[in-house]
This record gives sequence, C-alpha cells and structure tokens, in this order.
Amino acid sequence: MIVTLLTDNLRAKLSFLNHAVSPNSQLEILSNFFLKASKGKLTVSATDLEIGLSSSVPANVEEEGETTVPAKTFFDLINNITEEKITLKTKGTNLELTGKKIKMLFQTMPPEEFPKLYEEKGEEAAVLKKELLLKDFNKVVFSASADSSRPALSGVLVRKEKEGFLIVATDGYRLSLKKNVAFETKKETGIESLLLPARVIRELLSIKQDEDIRLNVSEKSNQAVFTQGETVLVGRLIEAEYPNYEKIIPTGFDTKTGFDREEMHKAVKICSVFARETANIVKLSLKKDKIVVSANTPSVGEDTVEVEAKTTGEENEIAFNGKYLLDFLSNTEEEEVVFEMSGPLNAGVFKLSGDDSFLHLIMPIRVQG
Amino acid sequence: MDKNKEVWDEILGEIELEVSRANFLTLFKRTALLSSQDGVLTIAAPSIMIIDLLQRRFFDIIKKSVDKHVGEGTEIIFVPKTSPAEELRASGPLFETSEKTEAIVGHLPRVRPDFTFANLAVSSTNQLAYVSATTVAKKPGVTYNPLFIYGPTGVGKTHLMQAIANEVYQKNADRKIIYITSEEFTNEVVDAIRTNSTAQMKRRFRNTDLLIIDDIQFVAGKEKVQEELFHTFNILVDNGSQIVLSSDRPPAEIKKVEKRLMSRFSGGLTVDIEAPDFELRTAILLIKAKKYGFNLSMEVAKTIAEKEQDARSLEGALLRIMTEAEAKGVLIDSSLAQTVLEGKSAKKTYHPDDIINNVCAYYKIKPTQIKSQKRDASLVRARQIAMYVLKKDLDLTYVEIGNMLGGRDHTTVMHGVEKVEKMIETNGLGQEILGIKNYDSGKLADY
Repeated sequence: MIVTLLTDNLRAKLSFLNHAVSPNSQLEILSNFFLKASKGKLTVSATDLEIGLSSSVPANVEEEGETTVPAKTFFDLINNITEEKITLKTKGTNLELTGKKIKMLFQTMPPEEFPKLYEEKGEEAAVLKKELLLKDFNKVVFSASADSSRPALSGVLVRKEKEGFLIVATDGYRLSLKKNVAFETKKETGIESLLLPARVIRELLSIKQDEDIRLNVSEKSNQAVFTQGETVLVGRLIEAEYPNYEKIIPTGFDTKTGFDREEMHKAVKICSVFARETANIVKLSLKKDKIVVSANTPSVGEDTVEVEAKTTGEENEIAFNGKYLLDFLSNTEEEEVVFEMSGPLNAGVFKLSGDDSFLHLIMPIRVQG
Repeated sequence: MDKNKEVWDEILGEIELEVSRANFLTLFKRTALLSSQDGVLTIAAPSIMIIDLLQRRFFDIIKKSVDKHVGEGTEIIFVPKTSPAEELRASGPLFETSEKTEAIVGHLPRVRPDFTFANLAVSSTNQLAYVSATTVAKKPGVTYNPLFIYGPTGVGKTHLMQAIANEVYQKNADRKIIYITSEEFTNEVVDAIRTNSTAQMKRRFRNTDLLIIDDIQFVAGKEKVQEELFHTFNILVDNGSQIVLSSDRPPAEIKKVEKRLMSRFSGGLTVDIEAPDFELRTAILLIKAKKYGFNLSMEVAKTIAEKEQDARSLEGALLRIMTEAEAKGVLIDSSLAQTVLEGKSAKKTYHPDDIINNVCAYYKIKPTQIKSQKRDASLVRARQIAMYVLKKDLDLTYVEIGNMLGGRDHTTVMHGVEKVEKMIETNGLGQEILGIKNYDSGKLADY
C-alpha cells in the first residue's frame, strides 16, 4: 500500500474515529486502526466490538492495500506533526510514514485479524438532519443509563407516532421524552420502533460533519448503520423490552411554577456544593413568587438560594438528586422552564415553556422533616 | 434451556484451554447456545464484529469442540443477539412507585405515609410489640388502652406508632387521629395558657379517636402539662378512644411524674422492643433498599448488617453504598459494601501482598514479574492497577507502594494511580477492578 494525503484531512477524522478504539482491550488488534487504500481514498476504521466507526479521506493511491497501525501512537503523532502532506507505505510488517522532514516506522498487525464492521448495511430506514439531531437528541440522550447490565435502559427508544417520531430515554430515576421529531422515512421500509444504544447516539453527535445522516437497519444482523458523507457508524440494536413509560407520565398536578433556566442552573450548582456528601440531595421549596433551592450537610453547613418564579396552586416542597437537575438544566437551551408536581413523593415534571413536545421526569428523593 | 447452557459451558471450557485468555474473555465469554436441533447449533454473540472474528479466526477450534460434544458434522450458525442472561432487570424506582403512590390517598399530618405495618420488619425482638400494635390498630380503644411501648432509640417505636395511625386512617379517613411528640404537646399547652385559649386546646385533644404521644418521658417535671394530660387521659378512656404512648424506659422508671398519671400509663398493656438482632437488621436493610428502588442482594444485606449494629445507622450505610455505586457506575455487591463501610472504620484488613497476588492471579502473571523492571504493556497495566488498589483500599503512601512493587519512584506510582482513575472514568475499568478484588487467589497455586 502506498498513499499520499493531506494531514489536516486525516487529523479531522481521527479525532472522532478515536472514540471507537478500545485502548486497553485485552485483544490487541482492537487498539489498532485498520487502514485501507483503494480508489483514490484512504479508509480508516476502528471498533471496540460494541460500536464500529469508519471514515475516509481523499488520497493519491499509488498502490492499493490494507494494514493496521497502533491507534494511540498514530493518533498522537498525526496530531503533532506540522507536515502538510504525508505518505504512508507498507514495508513488510511495518508501515512507514514519511513527510518532507520526518520519517516514522510503525509496527503493524495482520489486517485479516481486524473484524469486519458490518456484513450488509440493510434497508434504508430514515434520513436525519444534523441540526435536528443535535437539538432534539441532546435533550434526551443524557437520561439513558450508563449501566449496560440493564440493556433496555441503556438505549434510546425511537418510535413512530401519528405525527413524526417520538424519542425516549430513561435510567429508571429520570426520563426524557421528545415528540414530533421529524425524520424522513421511506414508506415501504419505514421504521416502527427501534431501541438504539445511547452510546451510539452520543458518538453520532460527536461526528463533526454537517451532511444529512442516513440510517440503515438490518434486522438480520440486528444492526443499525448510520452514514454521514463518507463516515459510517455501526451499532447493534438492543433487543430488550422497553419499560412502559406512558403509564408513569403524570396526568395532573397540584403545583405549577415557571422559572428562568439559567438562574435555576446557577442556584442548583451552588447548592450542589453543600449537597456533595448527602447523596446530592437538593431541596426545592415552591413559594408564591419564588423557589427556594437549598442543601445541607450536617457536618459542613447549608445554603439556600432564591430563584424568581411564578407559582400557581398550593405551595410545595420536593427534593431531587442535584446531579439530575444539573443534567437536565445543562442539556436544554430554552430560556424558560415550567415545573409541575403533585406531592413530594411523585415524579416531578419539567417542561419547556411554550413547547408541548418535550418533557423530563425526575424521581424525587424522600427526605424527612 | 438449562441443557443448552450445560452443553455450551462444556464446549467453552474446552475452548478456554485452546485460545488466549484475552480472546476468550472478549469474544467467547458473552456467547450463548440458543438452540441445538436437527444437527444445527445456533449460537448467540452480542455483535456482528464478534461474530466475524469467531467465524474467521476461531471456527476450527469451535468446530472441533462442537463435533466432540454434540456430534460430527454439526452445522454451526451464529446470530447477533444478546445472551438471554443479560436481559431482564428491574427498571428502577420511576417505574415502580406509580402504582404504590396511587394507593395512598392523602396522609396524616406529622405521620410518614411509608411507615406502615407492611414495611416493618418483624423478628423475635419486636414480635410482641408488633402483635399488640396490630391488635390496637384493628380495634382501637377496645383491647389494650393505653398501649405503652418502650425501648432504646432506633428500634422502631415511632415506625410502629405511625403504622397504627396509618392503618386506622386507611380504614376510615373520618377518624380523628392526633400524632404528637410530648414536646409538641407541652408547647401546645404552654401556648394555650399564654394566648388564653385553653378551652380550644382541650376540645382538640379530648375529641379524638386516637391519640398517639411519642417520647412521653419528656413530660417529667412539667406539672401543668401532666395535669392537662391526666384529664385528657381520663376523658379519652371514658369515651373509648385509643391512646398509644412511647418512651425510652418503662413507666415505673420515668421520674418526676405524678403517681396518679403513672398508674394511668401502666393501666393498659406495656410492651418493650429490644435492639434488633442480626436477622432483623438484614430484613430492615432489604426493606429500606426496596423503598429506594434498589434490588439489594441477601449477601450484601448481610455484609452491612454485620458491620452496623445500630438500626438507625443502617439506612445511612445503605445510602452511602448506593451513592458510591452510582458515582462509580458499578453494581452493588458485597465487596463494594465492604469497601465503603470500611472506608468509615478501619481500612487495613487485607495484607498488601494479598492484593498484589490477586492482581497477578487475575492477569496470569507472576508476582516476581510485577515487581521486576520489565515494562511490557501487559505488565505495566497490571502494575498500575495494583498501585491503584493498594492506594485506594489500604491508603498506603506512594513511597510504600513504590517499594513494594520493586523499588519504584513515588512519582511513577502517582502517575499509575491517576492513569487507572482516568481509565475507570472512561472505560468502565471499575468492573474489572471489582473482579480482581473478588478473584480467588487460590488459583495462584497453578503457577
């Protein structure tokens, strides 16, 4: 294999391809990038067996071929060299990288050992706009569980509704739901319901490209393949049954209040400092014209911060894990937030002012007194 | 299903001997045999990438073993599927409470709605008190009047009394129920005298169906309060209303209480609650964990119950462990419970050599290798993990750890510990470390 390419192009791709490398895998081949030169481009792939990522850059291919290269070393080097143009060339079991003034030699592993990312892409199921993905999925993905031993909760559910799509994520303590997400789907192969790993969505959001994203689903391989320009992201579908989220969405409320998201964000941040040692418990006291946010640690101290608010209904108190509040407040960008609750033991409902399509639930923490 | 697992375990056992440990853990460990019929073996593996490697690189080994165990010429098919064992877990509190909360229709002031008989753990130490309380709740004012419960702090007196209130209220929401501590009762009496509204206060207390006063021993030495209590008492008993009292000592030992009131206290049934025994503490933990939506295993509950003697500190210990598990993103098991609880008390329970041996056994290297100057990638990783565990579990100094691992500089150790911390955050190495801690170091004998 002999290819010549622009360093900047490669650098831009490696920055996200790197996410799929598992540097500490027991399986050495997985700490490598797979390189393939053919038809005027160099394709780089990485996988940790959970997800797979691959992308290509235009290149002058003198001789086609495949090889692997230790990912971390290669990534660090490409990030540091100033050469504008580099040439990659296989020499026996080594890969040689040369520029005007530099010359490096990498140890490689047999390319056959690298797993194939997918057998077939499967049917095209939908087309997604990047900015829409950023806007809608960002509000939802953070609610998914990081614990992969509860497969259903580690995913984001995408379900077809009468109008557009609905996306939901929950880790059993909180839940995010967004309706009316506009996917373009083909009628004959359109999706009804998909459970995608939250990690796959996060990686998708981190790909720094602006093209539309095509989603292919292969039932046979139980895989979802996202294609954005020349970049491909592969993840498996989760087969577990999703919990019945509809039944836990409260239908009424005793108290409703509205406040400024930024102001609340700051208040919770401040209180979180005092809540660190008491399981992050942050208390909200809903008064007529304000919400008093407070936290205390018996051995450290306590603090209260007032946030301006307009409350209707009875005055109420509720306590949450401060981390969940911060996650919600930092993953939304709207200015005004509406909060509804009924009793300190029922899930609190956060909505965005003037937007019926989104809601976020957090399970309160029982506190005495 | 079980038959399949048996067959597959046998096959895996044989494969384990043939392939490297790395390959076995990453590729084979999460496979399962889905079905075996008509000479076709269907094997589940989590992803297409894994299937690709299994098919291209290990097919001969798998085939050989399958032929031996299932029969020659068996066809092998791989399908992408999570193995069934990985599925089916609780969905968390958000999904459990919705039905529970519907059941509670409003609740009494000052009474916690979750303090019910249903989630009270009963054992020999509180059996008698429990039985009398349920009897009283069934027929208030009829059997034992007053019911006097005493026992040391943190044994569940308040829970039992509030459970009576909740039970009576559940059955008939129109009943007038007052739950009050003796301090609050004192305040009300004093307030009433000050604001000249004693008549109103009297009417409130003398018109109830169930009066519960917690920590009655605090009325000691307060004459006016005792007098008020005495009259209230008489009227309520005459009306057939139930009275329940609690104290930290038996009535006879409460000092500075008028004789006539004392005799009223012990006029009904007096029962005591002892400090909870080990079994009861375990049961309490399981109940509390359920309340927080955690599926606590029996094993972990026992570990905590052994460490914490006082009933009230059980909940604290449980909360700490849950927070820790959440923060580290790991599952709750007894070794985590150990670590958290020991972090509070004495830390040094393991010998450093045990930890080094465990790490070595886990990664199949020799202790001399981990202490050597060699810097192979696999050795370095094991060494850094050893550093991390020694630092976090035993809180040894960096210099001590360096000396133990072949005379390394303390900055090397600091770097190692930091590196592992980072890996735990980014790669879920935490699970692996827990695995190391649990690893049976007896396997070292093979080496």
